[in-house]
Amino acid sequence: MRYPFPVGTVDFIQGDEAIARAAILAGCRFYAGYPITPASEIFEAMSIYMPLVDGVSIQMEDEIGSIAAVVGASWAGAKSMTATSGPGFSLMMENLGYAIMTETPLVLVNVQRSGPSTGQPTLAAQGDLMQAIWGTHGDHSLIVLAPATVQEAFDMTIKAFNLAEKYRTPVILLTDAEVGHMRERVYAPHPDELELIYRKLPANEEEAKYPFGDIHGDLVPPMPVFGKGHHTYVTGLTHDEKGRPKTVESEIHEKLLKRIVEKIEKNKKDIVDYEGYGLEDAEIVIIGFGIVTRSAMRAVKELRKKGIKAGLLKLNVLWPFDFELIERIAEKAGKIYVVEMNLGQLYHMVKEGANGKVPVELIPKIGGEIHTPKEIIERIKDNLR
Amino acid sequence: MAKEIYTKYKMAKYLRKEALPTALCPGCGGGTVLNAFANAIDQLGIDPRDLVVVSGIGCSAWIASPYFLADTLHTTHGRAIAYATGVKVGLPDKKVVVISGDGDLAGIGGNHLIHAARRNIDITVILVNNFIYGMTGGQVAPTTPFGAITTTSPYRNVEHPLNIAETVTSAGASYVARWTTFHVYQLIESIKRALSVKGFALVEAISQCPVQFGRRNRMKTPTEMLRWFQRNSVLISKARNMSPNELEGKIVVGELVNREKPEFTEELNSLIEEVSKHYGLGDNNAD
Amino acid sequence: MGWVITMQIRLAGFGGQGVILAGVILGDAAAIEGLNVIQTQDYGSQSRGGHSIADLIISKDPIYDLIVTKADVLLALAQLGYDSTKESLREGGLLIVDTELVQPDREFTGAPFTRIAEEEVGLALTVNMVALGYLVAKTNIVKKESVEEAIRRRVPKGTEEINLKAFRIGYEEGTK
Repeated sequence: MRYPFPVGTVDFIQGDEAIARAAILAGCRFYAGYPITPASEIFEAMSIYMPLVDGVSIQMEDEIGSIAAVVGASWAGAKSMTATSGPGFSLMMENLGYAIMTETPLVLVNVQRSGPSTGQPTLAAQGDLMQAIWGTHGDHSLIVLAPATVQEAFDMTIKAFNLAEKYRTPVILLTDAEVGHMRERVYAPHPDELELIYRKLPANEEEAKYPFGDIHGDLVPPMPVFGKGHHTYVTGLTHDEKGRPKTVESEIHEKLLKRIVEKIEKNKKDIVDYEGYGLEDAEIVIIGFGIVTRSAMRAVKELRKKGIKAGLLKLNVLWPFDFELIERIAEKAGKIYVVEMNLGQLYHMVKEGANGKVPVELIPKIGGEIHTPKEIIERIKDNLR
Repeated sequence: MAKEIYTKYKMAKYLRKEALPTALCPGCGGGTVLNAFANAIDQLGIDPRDLVVVSGIGCSAWIASPYFLADTLHTTHGRAIAYATGVKVGLPDKKVVVISGDGDLAGIGGNHLIHAARRNIDITVILVNNFIYGMTGGQVAPTTPFGAITTTSPYRNVEHPLNIAETVTSAGASYVARWTTFHVYQLIESIKRALSVKGFALVEAISQCPVQFGRRNRMKTPTEMLRWFQRNSVLISKARNMSPNELEGKIVVGELVNREKPEFTEELNSLIEEVSKHYGLGDNNAD
Repeated sequence: MGWVITMQIRLAGFGGQGVILAGVILGDAAAIEGLNVIQTQDYGSQSRGGHSIADLIISKDPIYDLIVTKADVLLALAQLGYDSTKESLREGGLLIVDTELVQPDREFTGAPFTRIAEEEVGLALTVNMVALGYLVAKTNIVKKESVEEAIRRRVPKGTEEINLKAFRIGYEEGTK
């Protein structure tokens, strides 16, 4: 198989472009989108590349339609993706819930910009974190990844597809305008170097009768995709193991929802990923995700030069959330700072994890600019005085 | 275990037995549409394994799911056609059918309907128009006649109904027809044609909801509603010579359009071939 | 100009001068050499005529600072670009200007890039490559050959030779 971009080598590309290339390497062959700043470059790249790899990229009438088509294509058997930003992300919440309820693998990229509403279309923000995790109505679970560099945007896109296929769930790649639009040196692996996961299909006709049954005891049912004569029954209504609507039986609802949540929670160890710096002896720990952790890293290095024992915890996976990890850090650290480009969202989860064992303080910033290392350092030093 | 159902109804083989009897009210037109669809499939000899049926939310959506025995995707309110677009692009060799109601497909989902018709994607839509939001309790719909009584227009409806078949024709569909549940044989024939046409095909099936619409509009029984369909229907050939005044309150039935046009998934596939040929990843231009 | 661990470079002009392409090519050359590099841009909402800025941070270390705060090098191809960016050049930083289009109020070097592009290359559009050649010669941030490879990869097909010619003329000018 040949690719319409260099593989097994380095290139100098934008985050959006990296996401599109990585998706194709991950086996994505269906993309549906709607134009929106700052995610349009993903769509444009997909439009160029897809026909060259026997794939399809189509423009729908809105973001509701985009994610709907992606769910449809996923049930048709294709690895599928869409990308958007805040306003479109809001529109996608309806069918994101459908994808969760019907356990449909897909990747949804949110290149975050400042909101609410139209906000600051070209500027970066991290204000959609809570929406990514909790935006659709009803109890649920899903997976949220957050890259801080163009290389991570590339690598995490591949990981997003693997997790979506492995756990039959939507995966959100929560990036931002800064990562999306900046160019960096990226190593694009050769396909032979990649380990790709494809959804588990029913081994036989008997297994195909249970599209929503935990028949292997791993909480993830095999997916009887359409067109194979299975007469698969898929509905967003509460359904039993065969997919039949059961809208008033409370125990069936509980069993279904608990499995959907537990297939993520019980596999937390496999999914969760983070990077620590200086955590062994850190008295002050900065916690963050995405682009802003780069400023935080500089701040930690500068603080250490000044003799202040600082450390950084960079969260690469935001859901499932490793509350226990935060608690372990809280047991050792003297203080935790949460740095994020919003008015406090990760902050609340970190506080819950810290469980009162250590003060947790928020260093927020909004308006489209990333915190400078200086701003972080000064805030921390002010408190030390 | 599937329930044992004793029936002489020949079309029962196309239905999910465990979902029967249907949850449709006695006298509902939905059963007639289900019957017409099953007969069309039967007469065309389509193997249900080659069918994917997609529906939205509402009584009419239930015709497809749970009752029809095929791969079925019962989706969110108004979005069935957008979901079906992904299914069809992914499985271009399968027949993809959307069955849902007027509120679902032409109200909340109106934009998807128009744009799917514009793309002329090979999806067959059976739109069951009963002038009302039935499942939620009889609220006013974008198809409710001017002056009609509903639970959210309790004095009278001050809005004008959308002419769905005409709208979809303008939007560019390959095939559009409208019949009522009174015209069962014509309905079957049009569904057969819609399934055979390459391109976007809409069959608008005007259907009775005696419980939520008829009861509040002086047509308490199903037969009264069917009689209303019979008396008010005008064949399109005749309607072409009638003035707007004469057509006021009439139901124009027949085939509105049947035309050959390039189809979306075929265009996508020929684009892939074209692009691979001109810009393809042959041996010498690896990047 | 000697290499420090991290270099902040800012290229400024107006839309249509190819400032961002020049930035991308310089960044690509750094990537070819295995250096860490990020490139960001800022431009008016119009595609032509507004200000246009390309920022680069090139480093032997991992890059944690993402914003050009104190530029080591500022290249200004238009007065509009110079006026809006001059404050960002650090004390003792290198200012390079198109000497016929920018009137700087501090120490500078430069050449009439636009006129050189018109008269010596024969295509005004190549002003970005002339200026880039000059910048590379003056700073030695990356090797000449790396930039030439990046030019071949990045400019529209069929324009490789004229862009390379412009780059080399600018480079010569910078070694004077």
